[in-house]
Amino acid sequence: MSENKLMKEPKNLSFRVKWLRDFYFEGTKRNWNNQYTCYSTGTEWDFLFDETTYYIVPETIPFYQTFTSSTLQAAKTIPLPDDFWQHSLKERRALFFREVCGKHLPVELLPYDLLCGGRFNMMTSHCLLKSEAKKRAKATTGKKGARNALLDYYYYGFGNVGSTCGHLIPYYQRVLDQGFVSIHKELEDRYFSMSDKEKKGSKGAQIRAMMIASETPKILAERYREKCLEKAGKESDSLRKEELKLMATNLERVPWNPAKDFYQAVQSLWLTHMLVMAEENYPGPGVSFGRLDQYLYPYYLESKKAGISDDMIKEILGCFWFHCNTAYDAQIRVGNNGITAGFGQLFNLSGRDKDGNDQSNELTYLFLEVIDEITPMLEPKPNVRLHKNTPEPLLDKVVDMIANSQGAPFLLNFDERSMAGMLREARLAGKTDLINEANVHEYACVGCLENTMVGNDRSGTVDNNLYFYKAVELALNEGQDLVPKHNDLTGKVLPIKRHGPHTEPTREMLTFRDFIDAVKIQTSFLIKHSVDLYEKSEAIRAKYGNTPYLSTLIKGTAQSAKDVTEGGAELRFVTIEGVTFATTIDSILAIKYLIYDTKECDFDTLKDALIHNWEGYEVLRAKAINKAPKYGQNNEEADELARDFMEFFAEECWKHKTKSTDRQFRPGMLSWNYWASAGFILPASPDGRKQGEFFSNAICPANGRDINGPTANSNSVGMALGGKSPEGDFEDYVNYLPNGASHTITFNASLLNNPDHKDKFKAFLRGYIENGGSALQINVLDPEMLKDAQEHPEDYKHLLVRVTGYNAYFVTVGRELQNEIIARESHGKF
Amino acid sequence: MASSETIRILNIQRMSTEDGPGLRTTVFFKGCPLRCEWCHNPESLSYSLEKEWIETSCIRCLICLKHCPEGALSLVDGQIIINRNLCSQCRKCVVNCPTEAMKALGVDKDVDWLFQDLIKDKAYFGTSGGVTFSGGEALIQAKAAAVLAEKLKSAGIKVAIDTCGHVPYHHFEMLLPHVEMFLYDLKLIDSKQHEALTKEPNQLILDNLIRLNQAKKTIWIRTPIIPGATDNETNITGIASFIKENQICFERWELCAFNNLGKDKYRRLGIPWRYDEAKLMEKKTMEQLTMAARKVFGDEERRIIWTGATRLEEN
Repeated sequence: MSENKLMKEPKNLSFRVKWLRDFYFEGTKRNWNNQYTCYSTGTEWDFLFDETTYYIVPETIPFYQTFTSSTLQAAKTIPLPDDFWQHSLKERRALFFREVCGKHLPVELLPYDLLCGGRFNMMTSHCLLKSEAKKRAKATTGKKGARNALLDYYYYGFGNVGSTCGHLIPYYQRVLDQGFVSIHKELEDRYFSMSDKEKKGSKGAQIRAMMIASETPKILAERYREKCLEKAGKESDSLRKEELKLMATNLERVPWNPAKDFYQAVQSLWLTHMLVMAEENYPGPGVSFGRLDQYLYPYYLESKKAGISDDMIKEILGCFWFHCNTAYDAQIRVGNNGITAGFGQLFNLSGRDKDGNDQSNELTYLFLEVIDEITPMLEPKPNVRLHKNTPEPLLDKVVDMIANSQGAPFLLNFDERSMAGMLREARLAGKTDLINEANVHEYACVGCLENTMVGNDRSGTVDNNLYFYKAVELALNEGQDLVPKHNDLTGKVLPIKRHGPHTEPTREMLTFRDFIDAVKIQTSFLIKHSVDLYEKSEAIRAKYGNTPYLSTLIKGTAQSAKDVTEGGAELRFVTIEGVTFATTIDSILAIKYLIYDTKECDFDTLKDALIHNWEGYEVLRAKAINKAPKYGQNNEEADELARDFMEFFAEECWKHKTKSTDRQFRPGMLSWNYWASAGFILPASPDGRKQGEFFSNAICPANGRDINGPTANSNSVGMALGGKSPEGDFEDYVNYLPNGASHTITFNASLLNNPDHKDKFKAFLRGYIENGGSALQINVLDPEMLKDAQEHPEDYKHLLVRVTGYNAYFVTVGRELQNEIIARESHGKF
Repeated sequence: MASSETIRILNIQRMSTEDGPGLRTTVFFKGCPLRCEWCHNPESLSYSLEKEWIETSCIRCLICLKHCPEGALSLVDGQIIINRNLCSQCRKCVVNCPTEAMKALGVDKDVDWLFQDLIKDKAYFGTSGGVTFSGGEALIQAKAAAVLAEKLKSAGIKVAIDTCGHVPYHHFEMLLPHVEMFLYDLKLIDSKQHEALTKEPNQLILDNLIRLNQAKKTIWIRTPIIPGATDNETNITGIASFIKENQICFERWELCAFNNLGKDKYRRLGIPWRYDEAKLMEKKTMEQLTMAARKVFGDEERRIIWTGATRLEEN
């Protein structure tokens, strides 16, 4: 059966939005796309591709040479002002970007489109002097450079580390409300208040660079305005002619001046946002919009007063959706329309205010309608904030959309738990002046789900991805690897070596406490190791990769006269995202059960089993899988261990700061898709996982271990984050992870098939607000998954079949009946 | 102080959507006074401890064979065969099985332990959900059930009882102060047929419902629609007339379509099942029976609904 009848289809789209959407999905057949355009200074040492951006995906390293050469080869050398090389590097970068946007970037309009601004995918010169280029090359690709250190780190199974771009929410609201003119003015004032000495130094250069950068959107808007008028002059259709004239009028005003209405606000937002992606040379790496339904609302009301229809609002938003999706054109020739999980322009809807009142408005519902009608379309990614006072109509809409979309077309974020994490961060980092009870509700999400403040917070939420399980491996072998590893790039064997502190040999670990202590000592080491490696790429980015345009949109940079990449933002964090959490907890629990509690085996036997990938140890493995307690089942012992480990991990993160940029490390649990590749690098684990099998994902229980269902699973997740306590961080909520934690649950489609059941699902969400984590992705079980369950019953022990009064696990039902269940799910007939 | 009361249960099902209003945690009690031929939870019938072997979980390590003091287990053609005449329910096979392929059916749990487990999902119960005692038949263990229900009630949790009704009425009375609602099965209105197909006449069940009706609890009636047994209009209108004549105040009456998913459970228990090859109900029949029931009360009767899976139409 190739056709899945439950697949969501777009609906009710206007002619314009449908045309743009269809055009988008034509992919490489389109006569226009947003592939990278490349621009060079033309020096023989010039380069465009910034490998540090991609360090967090070490699998890409073999392609760096190709990326570097091909972007250079494709690059157009642009003429530069005569005094270009006399300027500071910061100013050169700002000038170069302004030259590209002002003179070379192709300016085009698509049929029916209501918004200007395309072709933002670009690769631009680093603008380095020869001497700078040489130093940078040594720091990156030299023998002791960042790249080699990373390769070792990665292939030895620690994870990956790299100072990358994006992952923040610029202060877009300021541009909408006050225009770039106000930013430019602030910078001018700041500059004139500087002493001559300051002006001559790095601070003066930074402010000058930001001033240049703040003019760039104005120059580009003017080019688009002229294009609109030119097109209007040739346009025979009178309606389109008027549209083009209106677009020109908008661009005459924004983003340099404050927007006057909803249409101008969205145009201003788009142009401002797309230039962030352009300057960073990476399309939408978690550069997020924040709470769109809140800061666009005054413009919506203004336009409604002036008589705009909701249909017109939806047309404007439909065009906005189209533009956001063209980010993927960067790699359009790779296939699948270039869609990759590495992008992600997030925005939030709804949420509470400081007193707990819901802040949904008409625009919130209009956004949900747009999403509902245009889905499936990936960008921008919605994140709906729920809380104790989320009104029934919003929850109804959310549940309806989940039911009709084969899984939620948005992520859910949970305010109370999230705000607890942010307030804890404020307290531990000494930032209560910037994050406190009065403003914490203004938080929003970047990237996938990471909580940050808006407009002033660079939290580096994907820069450090640390595999917890490495600490167990090291603890089992006195700080050394348990098995040799391989460098897939060179094919070389990486011999067993001592990385961490010399913790005691397992034969001397007489109590479970001894073992857990060793794991903790090794965990501290992992964090320190990650922090040290991070410093390398962070220093490179701070020195050679400044982004003055982005800096104009982040609070704190003007005051400190530092670039956002130098630690100029008011809030400076960098997040260590823990990966392989549940597998690690389950492995520790299995060791407690097998070695200390039941004495099924000793450490030597277990280590031998792990070294031999459990071959010949099938019974021991089965006991590890089935008999030892597991995280994710709402089991007190397991959940307490998970909580204790999480608290320890968090405390260790708070001990570190970057040297070059003064950023405070903080804990998180995002784990993107690393849990898959980690499974091949790291050896078998005591929980019964074999090498090559996936680790657990983010804060989720290990695959198939949540046998007590979604509520138990959610309770465990909430407990691992700290649960509730009279001394909560916010109300009685505790949250060790300010960044938040990614949690995914897959539900049976039958749970959402009638109004009665939808009410029950709402009850689940209300319960999750009380007991669960900070963010939840809801998937709906599809027939393919059931077929997979037939082939791999061990991974689906939790899958339940319920009919009135009957209950059984899917995997215990006979094949014939399983087939019938699959047939029913395929037709949505349960 | 731990309570000395224990309850023999099969399992606990959390986030249950099928055992009453809202989200619920359901405790399946072991043991039932009826022997309905169509029962889809045969493991719940006997109060005795039992066990089953789940083929897909088994790694054929044969540890169970080695631990069985009675020699009740054997491996035949890759299948573990349980000789139920020899088995003494010592459960050494279950305890030593590394995979849970040899699975215990029935375990005695302390009321305090149950209470602690059942309150874990309180946040999800909201205003309408709660805990359901199902089975088997919860009311044959009424004394302990009442202790548990009282604890739950004082913790602010609403308790529902899913019952077949065939217990002495004072068992109901023990629970009445602590529960909010009953899911009450009415299967066959003709007592002789009832006795033929469930091994018991229905008089006690009907009398109990009339008395329970006076207690002013929320009542959901449930009628399993079983091919060739309960699926005729005479039976349904008979039940409807009984409800109407006795002014049974019900919030909902569910006609639950037969499901064939008990098949493997019977096979694992080594019990032949009369409904092994029976087909699911046709949607048309379910609709007709629902209409017939509604007609007794007036066609606009929305409290009467049908649930469950019906036969897939041939395409």
